[in-house]
Amino acid sequence: MGNEGRPAPSNRIVMAGIGLGNQGSGDMSVFLGRDDVQYVAVCDVKKNVREERQNQVNGKYNNKDCKAYNDFREVMARGDIDAIHCATPDHWHAIIVIDACRNGKDVYCQKPETKTLREGKLMIDAARRYGRVVSGGSQRVLEDYRGIVNACWSGAKGNVKSINVNVGPFPVECNKAGEPIPEGLDWDMWLGPAPWAPYHPHRCSGSYNIDGTSWRSFKDYSGGGMTDWGAHHFGGATFAIDVREMEPEEVIFHNENGRKYATCRFPNGKLLHHNFPGRRNLEVEGTDEQGPSKPVPTYAGTGGIYGDFIDCVKTRKRPFRDIELAVHTATVCHLFLIAYELERSLKWDTVKQQFVNDDEANRLVDVARREPWVL
Amino acid sequence: MTHNKTTKMTLAFGAAAAVAAQAVAQTDSPLDNAFNALQTYDWGADRNLLNPIDQAVIATQTDSAARKTLEKRLVDALAGGLSRSAQDYVCRRLRVIGTAQSVDALATLLPAEETSHIARFALERIADEKAGQALRDALPKVNAKLKAGVIGSLGVRRDAKSVDTIAKFLDDADTMTAQAAAHSLGLIGTPAAAKALSQFAAKAPAAMAIPVADARLLCAEQLLADGNKAEAMALYKELQGDSQPSHVRVAAMRGLVSTGAKK
Repeated sequence: MGNEGRPAPSNRIVMAGIGLGNQGSGDMSVFLGRDDVQYVAVCDVKKNVREERQNQVNGKYNNKDCKAYNDFREVMARGDIDAIHCATPDHWHAIIVIDACRNGKDVYCQKPETKTLREGKLMIDAARRYGRVVSGGSQRVLEDYRGIVNACWSGAKGNVKSINVNVGPFPVECNKAGEPIPEGLDWDMWLGPAPWAPYHPHRCSGSYNIDGTSWRSFKDYSGGGMTDWGAHHFGGATFAIDVREMEPEEVIFHNENGRKYATCRFPNGKLLHHNFPGRRNLEVEGTDEQGPSKPVPTYAGTGGIYGDFIDCVKTRKRPFRDIELAVHTATVCHLFLIAYELERSLKWDTVKQQFVNDDEANRLVDVARREPWVL
Repeated sequence: MTHNKTTKMTLAFGAAAAVAAQAVAQTDSPLDNAFNALQTYDWGADRNLLNPIDQAVIATQTDSAARKTLEKRLVDALAGGLSRSAQDYVCRRLRVIGTAQSVDALATLLPAEETSHIARFALERIADEKAGQALRDALPKVNAKLKAGVIGSLGVRRDAKSVDTIAKFLDDADTMTAQAAAHSLGLIGTPAAAKALSQFAAKAPAAMAIPVADARLLCAEQLLADGNKAEAMALYKELQGDSQPSHVRVAAMRGLVSTGAKK
């Protein structure tokens, strides 16, 4: 029997968290607060962080059962863990999510779920191969854009033609000089599959600023604001105009007298603009007539996107932010990034997951990973 | 001959006047200035100094001759001795514009711990067979720590020629190298890769059970995608044994069903 009205231990989801800094600690607190979750392990490459989180878990349960790990592979090797949540920097997501799937664990992965285009299909394939519940991590897709989503799905916007997203900045290469590695930080593990670079506090700061003072600013670890906030905005936009279940076939790069913007075209002809001149964020271009109305999908269970994930772990249904839908949003972000990097339009083969007849763009579909990490 | 090589020769001969003239010649365009900056570029230097090279990458997209010249300058810079940060910068550009012309210079970086990965950063993405050959040739030369990376790059390239070589690392004492070998064979996904994985599976140590099962599932998917249905079915059937964890057996069953749907 469960204590104090909690589900019996056999009915709780046994969880661990990997990457428990700013965002991860918030995720952990939500899962830890649920009666139907038993939190058993924390993992972070910063000793002080994992010890703080370990104490938090043990304090919650008033015991000493929570284990703390520096290396996520030790978490994966535990057969008693049903699910993990991952909030590491983005360059680690794919490796950890796929390893969790191959070890039979369900995953809640923070956004942006992928660092490269190739990673997306690999993550979807792993989830499907092993029948895992894998949820992306943008709660804003459903919760922040309800107004425009409801307007589109109710038919009030008529025949929706396009939507615009204003988001940035782009990520940059980091050349900051090295500083002494703080005690308790496993810098080699923090870098993981990313190219070696000397430690600098701005490289590994989990600050939400994208101004060169956080890992979110730098290409090796993130897609900058284009993926960090793009995961939310493009996710909301593709949900609103109902193209979240598909990927664009083309990204059109515009350069009008130095004013650069871009447009993704989906197979059904709908357009997703980025920084379209004169348009507001999430501004929809529709028609005057009333369009057909359809019910808006929503979360399962209780407790927002976290509750949706836990409910789906129990029911084995696909979560609201199923990895395939999350990857589609991330793909939009990456397609835009590559078009801006090459400063030209690109055609994307959604089946082959390659750019069409474009060797140069195809080189940017993925990056070589630093040994010993492979994908 | 590049500006930099010219500079080095004139310095060697101690011709001060010639050096001065060359220095002037090297500052006649933003691109030349950027290549000069590359010579002393290091961690902490202003990244914007190199922007003209970035811009040249874009500007030469439709000019193959200019692109080839730009690539040559980057290769020469790499061969001329640069800081780790500058090598890192050059390899990132060669990831985008590198061709067979770049392979030899990149290959020389593969055996060194400091540069092996950043060399692969470019080599892995260069489609030319010469890049694959360089990676295969490097395997016996790189130390234990670097092997997993080279094997991983060969896997991503689906380098069928490396199957026999990679298979030898399945029982490597270094677990990450052995896992990289299994994963890469799965990615390569040829009948020969499937055979190597199946032969090893029977004697795989416990630490390799999940990586090998995963690699065989990957391999089966690739075989099926390439039209090798019988080989894919055989792999899936092998993975349905009681010795496999339940999620692997379920994955194999799902895969087997998918072979029925595949013509």
